[in-house]
Amino acid sequence: MIISASAVKNHLKCKRFLLLSGLFTFLLFTQLSFGQTAETEANFAVCKACHTIGGGKLVGPDLQGVTERRSEAWIIKFVQNSQALIEAGDQEAIQVFEENSKIPMPPNNLTDDQIKDILLYIESGGKVAASEVVVVETDETVASQETVQAETPSKSVSGRKDIRNMQITFFVLLVLMLISLFDLFVTKRLKAKWIHYIIILTALYIGGEVIFVEATSLGRQQYYQPDQPVWFSHKVHAGQNQIDCMYCHFTADKSMHAGIPPVAVCMNCHNQVKSGKNTGESEIAKVTEAYNNRKPIEWIKVHNLPDHVYFNHAQHVEVGKVDCEECHGVVEEMDEIAQVEDLSMGWCIDCHRTKEVQFVNNKFYEQYSKMHEKLISGEMKKVTVADMGGEDCQRCHY
Amino acid sequence: MEKKYWQSIEEYKEQNKGTDMNKEPFPEFSIEGLDESEIKGKSSRRDFLKMLGFSVSAVALVSSCQTPVRKAIPFLTQPEELVPGIPNFYASTFFDGNDYCSILVKTRENRPIKIEGNDMSPVSRGGTSARVQASVLNLYDDARLKNPYKDGAETDWATIDKDVKANLAALSQSGRKVVLLTSTIISPSTKKLIDEFIATYPNIEWITYDTLSFEAIRKAHELNFGQAVIPEYNFEKAKVVVGFSADYLGTWLDPVAFSKQFSKNRKILKGNTEMSRLYQYESRLSLTGSNADYRYGVKPSDEVTVLLNLYNEVAKATGMSTYSVNSSPVDVSKTALDLLENKGHSLVVSGTNNLNIQLIVNAINNILGNYGSTLCIDKPMNLKQGSESAMARIVNEMNEGKVDGLLLYNVNPVYDYHKANAFAEGMKKVDFTLSFADTKDETAELCQYIAPDNNYLESWNDAEPVKGEFSIVQPAIRPIFNTRQFQDCLMKWADISGDFSDYLENNWKVILGEDGFVSSWNKVKYDGVYSLPQDEMQGNSGFREQKLSDSESGNGLELVLYEKIAMGTGKYANNPWLLEMPDPITTATWDNYVCVPVKYAEQNGLVHENVVTINGAFELPVLVQPGQPEGTISIALGYGRTAVGKAGNGVGKNAFQLMHISDGYADVAGTEVTMEKVEGKTYELALTQMHHTMEGRPIARETTLQEYIKNPYAGNEEHLKDEKNNVTLYSKVDYDGIQWGMTIDLTSCTGCGNCIIACQAENNVPVIGKDQVRRRRIMHWMRIDRYFSDDIDNPVVFHMPVMCQHCDNAPCENVCPVAATNHSDEGLNQMAYNRCIGTRYCINNCPYKVRRFNWYEFANNNNFDYNMNSELGKLVLNPDVIVRQRGVVEKCSLCVQRLQAKKLEAKRENRPLRDGEVQTACSQSCPTDAIQFGNLKDEKSVVVSNNKEERMYHLLERLHTLPSTSYLTKIVNKEA
Repeated sequence: MIISASAVKNHLKCKRFLLLSGLFTFLLFTQLSFGQTAETEANFAVCKACHTIGGGKLVGPDLQGVTERRSEAWIIKFVQNSQALIEAGDQEAIQVFEENSKIPMPPNNLTDDQIKDILLYIESGGKVAASEVVVVETDETVASQETVQAETPSKSVSGRKDIRNMQITFFVLLVLMLISLFDLFVTKRLKAKWIHYIIILTALYIGGEVIFVEATSLGRQQYYQPDQPVWFSHKVHAGQNQIDCMYCHFTADKSMHAGIPPVAVCMNCHNQVKSGKNTGESEIAKVTEAYNNRKPIEWIKVHNLPDHVYFNHAQHVEVGKVDCEECHGVVEEMDEIAQVEDLSMGWCIDCHRTKEVQFVNNKFYEQYSKMHEKLISGEMKKVTVADMGGEDCQRCHY
Repeated sequence: MEKKYWQSIEEYKEQNKGTDMNKEPFPEFSIEGLDESEIKGKSSRRDFLKMLGFSVSAVALVSSCQTPVRKAIPFLTQPEELVPGIPNFYASTFFDGNDYCSILVKTRENRPIKIEGNDMSPVSRGGTSARVQASVLNLYDDARLKNPYKDGAETDWATIDKDVKANLAALSQSGRKVVLLTSTIISPSTKKLIDEFIATYPNIEWITYDTLSFEAIRKAHELNFGQAVIPEYNFEKAKVVVGFSADYLGTWLDPVAFSKQFSKNRKILKGNTEMSRLYQYESRLSLTGSNADYRYGVKPSDEVTVLLNLYNEVAKATGMSTYSVNSSPVDVSKTALDLLENKGHSLVVSGTNNLNIQLIVNAINNILGNYGSTLCIDKPMNLKQGSESAMARIVNEMNEGKVDGLLLYNVNPVYDYHKANAFAEGMKKVDFTLSFADTKDETAELCQYIAPDNNYLESWNDAEPVKGEFSIVQPAIRPIFNTRQFQDCLMKWADISGDFSDYLENNWKVILGEDGFVSSWNKVKYDGVYSLPQDEMQGNSGFREQKLSDSESGNGLELVLYEKIAMGTGKYANNPWLLEMPDPITTATWDNYVCVPVKYAEQNGLVHENVVTINGAFELPVLVQPGQPEGTISIALGYGRTAVGKAGNGVGKNAFQLMHISDGYADVAGTEVTMEKVEGKTYELALTQMHHTMEGRPIARETTLQEYIKNPYAGNEEHLKDEKNNVTLYSKVDYDGIQWGMTIDLTSCTGCGNCIIACQAENNVPVIGKDQVRRRRIMHWMRIDRYFSDDIDNPVVFHMPVMCQHCDNAPCENVCPVAATNHSDEGLNQMAYNRCIGTRYCINNCPYKVRRFNWYEFANNNNFDYNMNSELGKLVLNPDVIVRQRGVVEKCSLCVQRLQAKKLEAKRENRPLRDGEVQTACSQSCPTDAIQFGNLKDEKSVVVSNNKEERMYHLLERLHTLPSTSYLTKIVNKEA
């Protein structure tokens, strides 16, 4: 792992290139480590919520060597609808059910071939490096939230840089400028007037820059990282446990909102997993409590857009095939989530100008006949979002 | 010579004086009536400095503040069908006791925000009306009752149940009379339930009361055919329609269905030259009259004579005996000739609630053989079942102390019964009174108990508007307040177990059959409609002749009461959208008034905004109305409510007491009244009439069918000229893939105003109030221009919807100093509100006057106390569309949010866009399909084929603005 973004409050300014290099390395990492098709991996993402491959028991049993333990036909039936099998009185199924504290495995809408692919994928060890898999029963001492927070600054904070102390720079320069102005017109101690001019001009330039930078970031929330009501770690869930983003944020490919998972989704696993690596039982207890008391958790929204912006996740995730990381940063490295990009209009437009549209893969774009001709004739190399009107005001503002 | 159009009487006179409108334009804006500060401006230089200082410090303060913490609260368990950010549509039914419409309710995050037409319905066929569109705002009305009431104080349902049951049981045991007074009920399940309820309490008598009764039609059919029904009307099959005071395109019986049928017969597209012809004889200028090919102004007292003359003409030609009759004030021979030529394909209707008139109408239809073709008594309409005699009897009995209990459902007789005082007096003598009203209306205020009913969007129900055509009412939201559905109350009080949704389901098991009920029931709920297999229609069997009689013409000033398109009978008098909707004919908002004929006004020295007293009872302002027949005046009903809510209380005057009663039938027209001018008093009316005038340019284009057949470019010759002259140095904008466009068929458009409210609901358009409307600041993104031409006493009317034309060569874009308005890749003239600095150059440079400026912050502002300043009222806002702030310009976006949503849907489904899939709010629910929307780059689309019509033209083509919206010349089926 190259970078490890962590919960450093208030010291949040970032060097873009380090982050990008981190992103790049991460992508490289993911590229290298699976053997089966991407589709299989995506299908396995659902399984990963409860199973590991060689990582020990999570909610369900460790799947390593499952093909040796059970017959393929049985696995297919069980995966497709475990409850049906149990109700049909299959002894093996009932045994598995009881061994795993009678937590039903939800039915999966997968074909036989898809399941066979998944089995091949498991046999090949999956992409999950065994060392990374966090098991509930680790030997590590359970650290409280406070100690984690206290410790984090000592961890690598690369990818962030300290805030330039703009205020002090600004006021020092202001004072210098006033002094030289005063000397220029009133006291006239320094005879060499060019010194005054240099000081004044430098102060104006740097002061202006400070004002510009500060003013443009007004209302933006880059590196915003509020305390959440539950100390939830994306690093543990998305990073170490390799739970797919879409397992929890399951409307990101359908709706404008990616969706904060309902507590019931947490309870899918936390019915069983009652103790965590970082915070022990205290934080998970809050989730259980919320579920039992029928009181939803009031999360603090991190990524906020102004009211006059319409942003649609489905358009970007499902249609544009944009990875979550491209906007949200390397979430699997963050304990508490922070906003890494400034989400400014310039940032949006930059991407729209360079991002290639899924032009030939989607039949919707067939009607853009002129652009297709240009692509064939070589007049256009690729079709970017901006070519499709991605710079128009009323794509995002209405 | 070019035909001259005029929008107001002043303009008409100006034209006829021979002055050139272009040289001496009518003053567009008068500063009279504005306060001084508005004229001179209040701020001095000191104020400016103060403001400057304040705003600088405010900015400094704001910028030093922390960004507010926003919370994201997910569901505990997310319902399967609900995805935040994706709308759900539920098929349901709008029925308020008067109007019926099958609808789809669009909900976002489980709250209804928009009503769309349900095109699976064979009755309303995807159309809606302005009132249907606006009904969603009633769900979020602050005036709705939040709890049940007992003796004027809030209480709980347990108390209500206990008290009501005790009362009903006591009354039942002693055999004392209880009356259940309801509006027309078209739900078979509710009817069955009421029967069961009455079986439990046999002392209950059920009376149906309609605000405006149609009993004469039922009675006439009982005498003629032995069945007291309203026949099903089929305007689609009628090649000639003759209407007598029936505003069937606006307010009469089932206007949405009739408009759909009417428009199917008037599509001069793709070489079709068949078109129906409308004759209208009426005593005021109605929406139907304004769309008629031939219109005649007739006094209410002359209607019988005209009809009987028409009967004689038809009877003579078919060799039947005629009646002796006074000579008709208008010539009916042409009408009769046309009717006789189209025997079996014609239709005569009258909206007058008078038995003799309805008998004549039936007799004419019978001679013409229209029964079984355009009229069907075997498939009657279930609307308007009220009985006037029963109502009159009950009021008497109440006053005699013979009624001891009164249950009122969906009726408000203390406001809208013509003997309201007698009813209110009678109520005092009733021991036990209970209203199911959802607001504390005039009647509910006098009741001991109020058991507030759910809004229809919170209810289960079914409906059978026409025999054999069912539709479902299903809730789109849980009850917002502690209210309970009327039917659930009845079930509780009659000790029927379960709730009404179970009851409904059990009832539908009988209709659909037990086999596969779950799936067939789900399909009914999905479609929203269900039709029973239809029997063959039968002809006019067993017509029993009745004696017809003439009557004498009146001499006095005759009053015509009418329902406004927006307001109806006053049920929606607290709906700010409808209050501010300009009337299609008078373009007035926010008031009712006396429409006075032009000649009468001249003779009596009355001008616009004078105040008159009617019968010495109440004062109303005058509106001089071209087309108002001589010897008549007209006043809209539905105003003057005193207990409806903050927006509607005290708006206008209540005129129900002036209904015309003859032979026990209450009709809207015919009461002789006296009208006195109140000297020196004026009352300001908020008309949108002279707004945005187009200064007499050739905008409204029309021709007759004959001319069109001779030359398809008839009336549209200018278009050819302008096309030739349209030479430009610049290359034409070349779109790829998508260019959005709209076509508006002026032959079909009736001007009903449904689109205005649909647009308002879809795009969060604010309501600004009467004062601001007077200042010409109305915010509607689309308007319907109304032009008059020809004779001022009987003008030809022209309705024309105008919204942003989305010009390829847009004049507004060039003048914006900050490029806040510019052009998109898909041909939209886009408006970036957050970039706009409010110079209003674009407004000045727009030749179509479709841009609107936000003079104030209309949301969260208690000076605009309508719906956008209340937590509840704001729930109706569309979350996909921003609420514009003060100081920015806004205008029609062609519902860009709907375009984007449909594009995304197609992309996600990996397919090209289908024609007709993308609809704007106005085109989706147009009851006459006049507005069509689509992709101009799709050669197979409707808009492209419409644009190939010779009738196609753009507004102000000579300016070479190249609009994406085009119009099709209006064709009138009139002989030259």
